[in-house]
Amino acid sequence: MTMDDLAPRIAAYLAHRMPQASQIEISGVSRIHGGASRETFRLSASWREGGNRKTRPLILRRDPVASLIETERDVEYNAYRAFHPTGLPVPEPLYLETDLKWLDRPFFVMEQIEGCTAGSPFNPEPYGALAETLGRQFWTHLGHIAAADPKEIGFDANMGSIAPDACWKRELDKWEKVIDEDELAPQPVARAAIRWLRRNPPPPPPKISVVHGDYRTGNFLFNPEGEIRAILDWEMCHLGDPLEDVAWAADPLWAFQRPDRPGGMIARDEAFAIWEKESGLTIDPGRMRWWEIFNSLKGLAIWISAGKEYQTGANRDPVLAFSSWYCTDVHNRVLAKRLADFAKEARR
Amino acid sequence: MKPDVDLVMQGFFGTLLMDVAPHLNAEYSMGNVGIMAMMMFMTAEEHDRAADIRVAENTEMRALFAEAAKLIEDAALSAMLADAAASRDASLRVKALDAANAVLNGLLVELQTYVETSKAAWAGPLDARIWDYLVAATERRKLTFPSLG
Repeated sequence: MTMDDLAPRIAAYLAHRMPQASQIEISGVSRIHGGASRETFRLSASWREGGNRKTRPLILRRDPVASLIETERDVEYNAYRAFHPTGLPVPEPLYLETDLKWLDRPFFVMEQIEGCTAGSPFNPEPYGALAETLGRQFWTHLGHIAAADPKEIGFDANMGSIAPDACWKRELDKWEKVIDEDELAPQPVARAAIRWLRRNPPPPPPKISVVHGDYRTGNFLFNPEGEIRAILDWEMCHLGDPLEDVAWAADPLWAFQRPDRPGGMIARDEAFAIWEKESGLTIDPGRMRWWEIFNSLKGLAIWISAGKEYQTGANRDPVLAFSSWYCTDVHNRVLAKRLADFAKEARR
Repeated sequence: MKPDVDLVMQGFFGTLLMDVAPHLNAEYSMGNVGIMAMMMFMTAEEHDRAADIRVAENTEMRALFAEAAKLIEDAALSAMLADAAASRDASLRVKALDAANAVLNGLLVELQTYVETSKAAWAGPLDARIWDYLVAATERRKLTFPSLG
């Protein structure tokens, strides 16, 4: 389907969802990189309503044939719906559609945040002069996500409950299964990490929180004034230990050249202090260490899965090949060094 | 004489980023070209060293297995280790080396799993030797990320 084909079909869909609107026109349909798990399109809709012509820039996220992360679009949509009224900067979700007759695959439509950009997660200086101001907001918002009551904001709908002492195992089982199913060749470092994680389970978190699941450099939009305007890519959100997000945000892959400044923003100590203040929670070093190893393993699972998608021809998006080559090597290296140190410590 | 493959790949990296990408109108296409350019840069590095890295890994794993085969009490595992230690790379084609590498890595997973649960005196030093190998191997495979500044 070309962009020209998409526009009239989106117009027909909006006419169905907006009976009060007439003369709906769709322009500027353009595919953008917006997370490798969904096809993301930027577009502008205009229509007549109440005697006036209205215009609204929109984002449409459509399920792919195959993706980097296999997730349900309603989980992501529901996260936007839960957090939008709380003041957390997320786009306003507008429509969720599972009927294939409109665009062949399920999709959702949300507000487009204009005039913003996202930093590259592989740049040692992704935010330049804005690093400090963005870093403080980045960790503040993550603290607010951890502090949110999932039930009160409606995040827990269709999520299923999880006990504090069970969340580590559920996540580990999930990502081990991905490696079992998708590895193209045996992965000694990943397997060693899985064994270490099972031998050293973390203490349970004091409470179950919303976990974004991919909170990191590159997954938020900011304006030229240095204000974070949108936290994106909630495909992997779930309920669990809030330290899972802290460890993922601080994973060495993001802005890899600066491990002392997670994600290329502010110093690790300051970042964690902000998160503790805003979440009302504390970072237990033992638990944190477990989630750090887990997240590097989860990264490996995602990159291994991406490699399989590309190799089998299920999805030939170049970002999958890149993730498989570059990110797999980084996480293998990070895990090998850390686990070798742990083994050395254990033998002393 | 023909230009070297790594030189060509690095040249294409520059051409794609500087000459092609700026003339594209579609943001998604521009992003894809950027990623492909970066991967050409990485291909330049990988092309030259791919066989060397795999031969080194396979050789080191076989040496490790030869040593482990003498220590492991499990007769079946010990025999598999001895067989793998005696195997050789029949071809220097990267796909053939990768196939052998996958077999050896599978056996390394088995060996390390066994060693981690062993209480024998040799288990600690052998585990340390496996980790030394894994750290060196992952470091050797490090891909250089191009400086885009």
